Amino acid sequence: MHICPRCESNRSEVVTRSPVKGAWEVLLCPVCMFTWRTSEPDSITDPAKYKSAFKVNPQDIPNAAHVPPIPEWVQGRS
Amino acid sequence: MAYKDFRDFLHTLEKEGQLLTISDEVKPEPDLAAANRALNNMGDKTPALFFNNIYGYTDARIAMNVMGSWPNHALMMGMPKNTPLKEQFFEFARRYEQFPVPVKREETAPFHEVEITEDINLFDILPLFRLNQGDGGFYLDKAILVSRDLDDPDTYGKQNVGLYRMQVKGKNRLGIQPVPQHDIAIHIRQAEERGENLKVAIALGCEPVITTAASTPLLYDQSEYEMAGAIQGEPYRVVKAKDADLDLPWGAEVILEGEVLAGEREFEGPFGEFTGHYSGGRAMPVIQINRIYHRKQPIFEHLYIGMPWTETDYMIGVNTSVPLFQQLKDAFPNEIVAVNAMYTHGLVAIISTKTRYGGFAKAVGMRALTTPHGLGYCKLVIVVDEDVDPFNLPQVMWALSTKLHPKHDAVIVPGLSILPLDPGSDPAGMTHKMILDATTPIAPDIRGHYSQPLDSPLGVAEWEKKLSQMLR
Repeated sequence: MHICPRCESNRSEVVTRSPVKGAWEVLLCPVCMFTWRTSEPDSITDPAKYKSAFKVNPQDIPNAAHVPPIPEWVQGRS
Repeated sequence: MAYKDFRDFLHTLEKEGQLLTISDEVKPEPDLAAANRALNNMGDKTPALFFNNIYGYTDARIAMNVMGSWPNHALMMGMPKNTPLKEQFFEFARRYEQFPVPVKREETAPFHEVEITEDINLFDILPLFRLNQGDGGFYLDKAILVSRDLDDPDTYGKQNVGLYRMQVKGKNRLGIQPVPQHDIAIHIRQAEERGENLKVAIALGCEPVITTAASTPLLYDQSEYEMAGAIQGEPYRVVKAKDADLDLPWGAEVILEGEVLAGEREFEGPFGEFTGHYSGGRAMPVIQINRIYHRKQPIFEHLYIGMPWTETDYMIGVNTSVPLFQQLKDAFPNEIVAVNAMYTHGLVAIISTKTRYGGFAKAVGMRALTTPHGLGYCKLVIVVDEDVDPFNLPQVMWALSTKLHPKHDAVIVPGLSILPLDPGSDPAGMTHKMILDATTPIAPDIRGHYSQPLDSPLGVAEWEKKLSQMLR
């Protein structure tokens, strides 16, 4: 488990490791869907240094606008 | 002139001195994006980049900026690389009129070499990387996506081939942004009204003609494959997908097959966009990938996008201008001369036209607002006279500075639609639009002092021809 630099949840997981052993890992946060590589600059990987304008509050995620809205199921459509 | 596949086009670029191979080791971030941004800052004749030594990878090969300059755009059309932009525009328009050219069907394709249906992991298979610092993740942004109209599946032109940004959000999951003005939004709605998933196929590393057709704002029932055939002057080669009745570009490097999950929305973004701003984060549809096939040692194509100009602007410049040109000509066949809608995908469009009577140019501007592309773009339409070259911005600025009277010639139409990515739209997707009439007033619009336009010395046309031949 790792801390997501963007939404600071602690649920991020490794999705791949570098083909050259030990170079980097790619992590994915299942809360805000942020993805990062451990070899990226610390302005991307460090929660304390991640740009504040791009931070995501996990509580806001369920309220994100749907694009496009989910249409009503239409009876008889096939 | 058709290119056999993506590699064939890269070979042409190399032969023409328009491909730069970077063999020094680079980091996936920030080097790949930084090199591209730097290249885009260096003018409009830059080469494509080919990276073959990427930190942490053993055999990743990444091509970028493949269409990111006017010489590369000319080569895409099989023209000499130094072909002037205006000539590329008129040649594209000529080929556009050859539409439709029926496709050529094949049974197998090079990308059938390697197939994966179990334990799919896009992060393992594709050398993914971040483009801009605020991006929410790694994106596919030069892949074409194929889907079919569910209400009318037998009308070939309603099969859509489009370029959409897709965020890689899991080992077999992508997020997609279906802007309402784009065709994929129609197909997703049709599927969701049925409560069904929408089958899709995604092709990466395509030769540039289909990428160009996929990014052209064609009418809804016009086939991108049949337009690719028109642009390349011979039938476009396609092969069937395995999990759906969808046609795939024969020359692609990698194919992903999957489905848009009905009724599902998931946080996506932000992504640094062609508007020079990030898109913000919103809940968007999700694609589940079920099958992947690819050539051995595939070449991964990617596109840097950000503050204009980038590869996007070269890629969607001429092919955005031409449909507007044709649709305006449908309405005013004897007047429309040329259209330049190259600025931020046509958020600004410049139309050169003859005028028949006072007020005519404003009508041309309003027609531009109601074309299919204009509904989502064309926020500012500048109309100039027939003798002003809309691709020559100093001439356009001259027309604005001398022909336009703000009291008479600035028309604002309130409350129109725009793509939601326009950062100035408020609410997102709504805007006022403006027409600037920079044509010379004619009767009955009698005003200003325009009876003594400056002419040229005699013989200029002959000298222009002579000098351009001497300079070739």
